[in-house]
Amino acid sequence: MLEIQHISKSFGRKPALSDVSLEISEGEIFGLLGPNGAGKTTLIRVVNKILEPDSGVVRLNGEILTERHLAQIGYLPEERGLYRSMTVEAHALLLGQLRGLSNKQSQIQLDLWLEKFQITDWKKKRIEELSKGMAQKVQFICTVLHDPKLLILDEPLSGFDPVNIELILQELREMKHDGKTIILSTHNMKSVEEICDRAALIHQSKKILEGKVADLQQERKKGDYAVRFRGNMIAFVNALWTGFELVEKEILGDDRFIAKLKMRGENSFEDLLRVLIGQVQIEAAWEVLPSMQDIFIEMVTAEKEVTHA
Amino acid sequence: MRNSWLLAKREIRERIGSRSFLFMSIFGPLVILLLGYLLFTYGGEGKQHWKVLIADPTGIMDNKILAKEDGMLTYAFADSYIEMEEFRDAQQFKSFDAMVEINEKVLSNKTAFVFFRQKPSVRMQTHLQFQVERRIEEVMIKRFTKLSVRDFRKIKQPLNVAFRNVYDPMDEASDMRAWAGFFFGCIIFVFIFLFGMTVLRSIATEKTNRIVEVLLASVNPRQLLSGKIIGIGLSAFIQFAIWIGVIGVGMFVMRLYVFPDLFDASNFELLQNGDGVQSSIMEYNEYLNLVFERLQFGNLLFFFSLFFVGGYLFYAAFFSAIGASSGSESDGQQFVIPIILLLGSSVLAGYYTILNPESQLAGWFHYLPFTSPVTVMVRLTQGYGPGEGYQIWLALFILLSSSFAMLFVAGRIYKNGILQFGHRLRLSLLFKWFKRS
Repeated sequence: MLEIQHISKSFGRKPALSDVSLEISEGEIFGLLGPNGAGKTTLIRVVNKILEPDSGVVRLNGEILTERHLAQIGYLPEERGLYRSMTVEAHALLLGQLRGLSNKQSQIQLDLWLEKFQITDWKKKRIEELSKGMAQKVQFICTVLHDPKLLILDEPLSGFDPVNIELILQELREMKHDGKTIILSTHNMKSVEEICDRAALIHQSKKILEGKVADLQQERKKGDYAVRFRGNMIAFVNALWTGFELVEKEILGDDRFIAKLKMRGENSFEDLLRVLIGQVQIEAAWEVLPSMQDIFIEMVTAEKEVTHA
Repeated sequence: MRNSWLLAKREIRERIGSRSFLFMSIFGPLVILLLGYLLFTYGGEGKQHWKVLIADPTGIMDNKILAKEDGMLTYAFADSYIEMEEFRDAQQFKSFDAMVEINEKVLSNKTAFVFFRQKPSVRMQTHLQFQVERRIEEVMIKRFTKLSVRDFRKIKQPLNVAFRNVYDPMDEASDMRAWAGFFFGCIIFVFIFLFGMTVLRSIATEKTNRIVEVLLASVNPRQLLSGKIIGIGLSAFIQFAIWIGVIGVGMFVMRLYVFPDLFDASNFELLQNGDGVQSSIMEYNEYLNLVFERLQFGNLLFFFSLFFVGGYLFYAAFFSAIGASSGSESDGQQFVIPIILLLGSSVLAGYYTILNPESQLAGWFHYLPFTSPVTVMVRLTQGYGPGEGYQIWLALFILLSSSFAMLFVAGRIYKNGILQFGHRLRLSLLFKWFKRS
């Protein structure tokens, strides 16, 4: 669907993107991760033709990206604004038409989305009358109004309460189901784990990591396990003896705990369960995979150390 | 083009829907009408009493003009030719404020000249003109007709009384029409200033609230900029059209009910009863005469439109470049001041052209794109000489070419500066963004 090939872009002497390449397939939700100032927004602007790269090429469905492809893209920038004096309807119609819809098509699509989000009574309201969260919803609707094949969302969940975060995530899942491709740039790692198929990490203008979210977690697991149990903590520690090491514990209350463990020697997960059975009441046990947040911090910190060295 | 037009329509709706637009549409023309009324009513107030010498070498007036004394005018007669220069310089005439020249052709060409030292008030002019005219009428009736004065006045042609300043007989320094052109030039200045600042503020606001990034994902910077400039320019035109409409209706009403023209034969009957001179509606007023009789409004409005478009595009390019490059909404003020000064210089250039129409500097002002919108309006009303008509088109060509060149420069700065935030605007940044492709 989208091929980003060897994109480089500098502002003066400062590189914003250095030879970044990505390939994003149709129907995929792709997480674009990176610390502030890494180059994510520059990359997104290049894909939206807001910025021209110094070198490299972007292809959409095999064709070199031009302005006529923009009607197939929906873009929600991180720093998003609205014309405060315009009504929701006027604003949405303007942006719909700028993305190639007719006035009538924009109107139909707007009604559809307002109904979907159950906010039809907002239609004639001025943007300045809306709360921040309400305005965010309007912005999301304006982004998807023209039914784009590729959706680029920069921090789409910021400003939303948990209910609306779930609503937006559900919408994104539905869109993926309908075959849309979504690029999600976010610092909300939980949402990346929840809905992204693949992700890439950009740091200091370079891509330093790319892959399936599950694979990235598997590759970076450290042999840690967790057990949730009910019982005596001393009995639990005694049962571990020398075969396992307690890394950390979390008290859930009412003699309930979550313990994080490391294996020693050749001991396996089955061995662990064997020594614990009869000592404590095991509620759950699982292999601990690193969160995307852990991976993010680990990679960025490691890169920083390399740079400083 | 479709996208530019969509953005232009949005701008027009936003401007027209704003309270300030409505306020300016009503308040602006009303202020002009009020100023016009005051000018027509009280324009040219001067000395309250005049001593007038009537040079009547052929004795047409028979040393008579008024049956009784007039509080404003005292007359004396001379039965010889007196040249204007002689009247101006000779010691024996120094006590006279004005000289009326009644030559032997006055009865056929109906033209008398009044040479004055100090510009008379409108009331003074009206009195003098009325009294001279009445006396000439009496002479004509007596010599050439058997009609009564009353019947004669129904069919008579007005006497043309030409007022001349003895120190400026060609009336170069105070050509009223040039002032009218200057007025149009000032209107251009006001509109360019108001709507140019609107361009700047609008771009800076879009930049600050970040809507610009959403727009730039759909349209390119050039479309965005042209949509904005076209939209705001058209709303300026709409406002100007409203001004023209309101002022036009106001002037028409004034002409019909407040200032019926003294030289209009249909109004002349009013003179027959009582002393019409005292009535304000009878007064001849050079401003009224200028506005209602001498100005070619069609021509003026046509060139006004062209030079407004050129001037607006030229200055809007500056304003948009600054708006797009500012780091925050309040940034860039230091760059607005030179533009306003530049714009203000066009008004001074227009004023200079009124006083020195033939000077070389006025010629430069006429062609320089910074100053031509105002200066050309002045020159247009002063009149171009035979074979000089091309000059106005040349000035327009230079203005439009410069405007497009400036828009090109502004387009580049806009493209490279619109997504830059948090900096403090410096001249070097403008150059940098212009050089970047």
